[in-house]
Amino acid sequence: MRAYLVVFRMRLLMELQYRGAMIGGILCQMFFGLVLTALYRALYAGHPQSVPIEHVVSYVWLQQAFFRMLLATDPDLLDKIRSGNIAYDMCRPVNMYWFYYARIAAQKLMGSLMRGVPMLMVAALLPKGWGLTLPDSPLGLLAAILSLVPGFFCMCALENVTMGFTMRTLDPRGIQSMLNLLMMTFSGNILPLTLFPDSWQRVITLLPYAQLLDAPIRLYTGEYAVTEAFHIIPVQALWAGLLIMLGTGIWKANRKRMIVQGG
Amino acid sequence: MSFIEVDDLKKSFIVRKKREKGKLFREKQTVEALKGVSFEVEKGDLVGYIGPNGAGKSTTVKILSGILTPDGGEASVGGRVPWQDRKEYVKHIGVVFGQRSQLWWDVPIIDSYSLLKDIYKISKSDYESRLKELSEALQLEELMRTPLRLLSLGQRMRAELCGSLLHRPELLFLDEPTIGLDAVSKLALRDFLKWENREYGTTIMLTTHDMEDIAALCSRVMVLGHGKKLFDGKLPDLLEKFDTIRTVSVKYETDDPVLDMPESVKTGRNGDEIVITYSPKEFPTPELLKALQNAGKIREMTLQPENIDHLIASMYKEMDL
Amino acid sequence: MNTVKLYIRSMSMLIKSQLQYPLSFFMQTIAQLIMEGGEMMAVILIVNRFEEVQEWTGGDLFFFFGMMSVSFYLTELFGRGITGDFPSMVRSGRLDTFLVRPRGVLTQVICGGVDPRRITCIAVGVAALVMGSRMSAILWTPLKVLALTESIAMSCLLIMGLFMIEAIFCIHSVKSVELVNALTYGGRSACQYPIDIYPRPLRMLFTVIAPFALTLHVPAAWILGKPLYGLPTWTAFVTPLSGIVVFVLMTFLFHRGIRFYRSTGS
Repeated sequence: MRAYLVVFRMRLLMELQYRGAMIGGILCQMFFGLVLTALYRALYAGHPQSVPIEHVVSYVWLQQAFFRMLLATDPDLLDKIRSGNIAYDMCRPVNMYWFYYARIAAQKLMGSLMRGVPMLMVAALLPKGWGLTLPDSPLGLLAAILSLVPGFFCMCALENVTMGFTMRTLDPRGIQSMLNLLMMTFSGNILPLTLFPDSWQRVITLLPYAQLLDAPIRLYTGEYAVTEAFHIIPVQALWAGLLIMLGTGIWKANRKRMIVQGG
Repeated sequence: MSFIEVDDLKKSFIVRKKREKGKLFREKQTVEALKGVSFEVEKGDLVGYIGPNGAGKSTTVKILSGILTPDGGEASVGGRVPWQDRKEYVKHIGVVFGQRSQLWWDVPIIDSYSLLKDIYKISKSDYESRLKELSEALQLEELMRTPLRLLSLGQRMRAELCGSLLHRPELLFLDEPTIGLDAVSKLALRDFLKWENREYGTTIMLTTHDMEDIAALCSRVMVLGHGKKLFDGKLPDLLEKFDTIRTVSVKYETDDPVLDMPESVKTGRNGDEIVITYSPKEFPTPELLKALQNAGKIREMTLQPENIDHLIASMYKEMDL
Repeated sequence: MNTVKLYIRSMSMLIKSQLQYPLSFFMQTIAQLIMEGGEMMAVILIVNRFEEVQEWTGGDLFFFFGMMSVSFYLTELFGRGITGDFPSMVRSGRLDTFLVRPRGVLTQVICGGVDPRRITCIAVGVAALVMGSRMSAILWTPLKVLALTESIAMSCLLIMGLFMIEAIFCIHSVKSVELVNALTYGGRSACQYPIDIYPRPLRMLFTVIAPFALTLHVPAAWILGKPLYGLPTWTAFVTPLSGIVVFVLMTFLFHRGIRFYRSTGS
């Protein structure tokens, strides 16, 4: 257990180093947030929807703020896979799945906190209709934060499944861009899931991708009533469990393959 | 006027230090890579350029090949200033960087050459005759249709050489050409460079860490350290100058031999071995032997082999590099 | 002329080398298709839900999306050396190799990268253009075809110019490269919709600094038969030229950057 905590801490500290890139990243993400807000406001003008515009705008800002949770590729690891140096890691006396899980978790947590918190503060200060609105109710906020935890575990597990797949192909770019696209679309980053056709939403909200950010955000805006958290959190936990099982399975198989092939 | 003239060349880089704790910005630090280097090279010379890592070898090569502009000093190659009118200048030089490729990784090398023909605007007849000649000299005929990535390191270096000589440069820079090569490849490469130099009078300047390269190829060697030129002359002269310290290891039958040596000789212990470092100038070898025999019955004795690398290492040490 | 020949030969060689790994190439091409398809799906869903935005119909939205998509991915296809590979060229020392050859550095950078996988993205863009043209019932005339071609070509030059900012940052080893993404990728995301739906500051940004409004939206509005934001018709052929202005300016700055590189050796 200690080894995994050490990896987690090291990675946290490493993320802290990239302050220069962080400021650029925040400004870029803010810009995307502004553009999308302007777009949805224009679309809403004259065509009001069942979901109020304030919710969509908050949705956009929360998605942008936590963008780093969705996509945070680890170039070190990709290089290791491409060069075959991953074989060295495989020989360490720790469980590689959890080793990388800790690494991914630290990266996502630090990356999104460092970028997300300042962004949300600015977004909350924007004029009404443009910025982040307050949560629907204090309980809603609590439920959103609570559901962010299993959502976060779910996301790290998903990323680790991608990593496991990546290791199986010599050139990981193809499979990776495809899995990333699924992530971007069905997590609500390209278009808020609330704006998908209602019939689609019934299916999409059950997919693991929706557990990451969509569910917590909807609890925040009040789209989901607080009591629904009792359904949502078990679904999230279920997915997290399933994905971790799938991930450990793939990593175990990879390890076997690597030993057989001799790296 | 010599072919290459370098006068008081200076270059410094600004390096950003790692941010210290509690400071908002990283501090900048100026590193002087070249602190005024001067030399001349005649046309057709084969010159070696050595020095420990970070001495400024690559910086010199980069300035002379037009990649970098110096901060001060002058240089001219064949009457041209390398960092002015880059496009015109580089037509007359060839550069091989030992650890990076100028050919295309995934295509047969012949395709790379034919693209280089277009880049250098070489006429068709010139290109064909040069390619034929170089591929014979470098034994590349069989490999022309093989992608670069499938070649061995030695083959790859030969392919790179061919690529950098297609436009018949007057001056060839080689930056650590033999790094990582096996013995056979090294010998073949040296033979080729000698041939190229003899046949076309190509001036060759090579940086290396491999003293065998220098011994086999270069009539002249320059030593660079801390951005300054420390030696310029023939290799034997260099060796003689620095062949000052020798090491002998001795084992005795008895456990505690009593050695009676002058102060200039250093003794140390390595297990049951006694390691003696001395300078023949101060304490001639016959006298040392006498002193060793007086101390007891010798079981075994080894003299450190006369290795150029060793010499260079001690030279660097002596020059405090 | 010789440069064009060099470019074509470099392209064919790069494509040849990418085809050395057919499976990976195929996978990535499909991935690109799905990616751009996903972007288009978002537009379809938006049109499905909102039907129109201000005076622009669904067909118009597809048309805008198609123009941006085709321009953006044509640039990525032919200008990969600038839009994607440049940082690695600097890091791996390929830039040094370019400097010891008797050709322009920018020429060699552009000759150094091509991304044929983008062809599927362009196909999606063309599909959107056709769909938009049908739905908005555009009456094509030779002049309109000319306007479309000019607009796309100029938008490509503009996009290339914007990506060159990133290259210049990279030469000066500026770390906050992500900021430039706001102009390039952000410009694509924002300007694939009609410019007049945005508030004034954003409109100004995309007219003066990254003039997509001039290269893309003015001619597109004219092709779609809309009043040209109050401008006379000929402007639809003149404003796109701002694309070349940006490109020339950035080329100049790029060469200054290379001079800086040669004197610092980053």
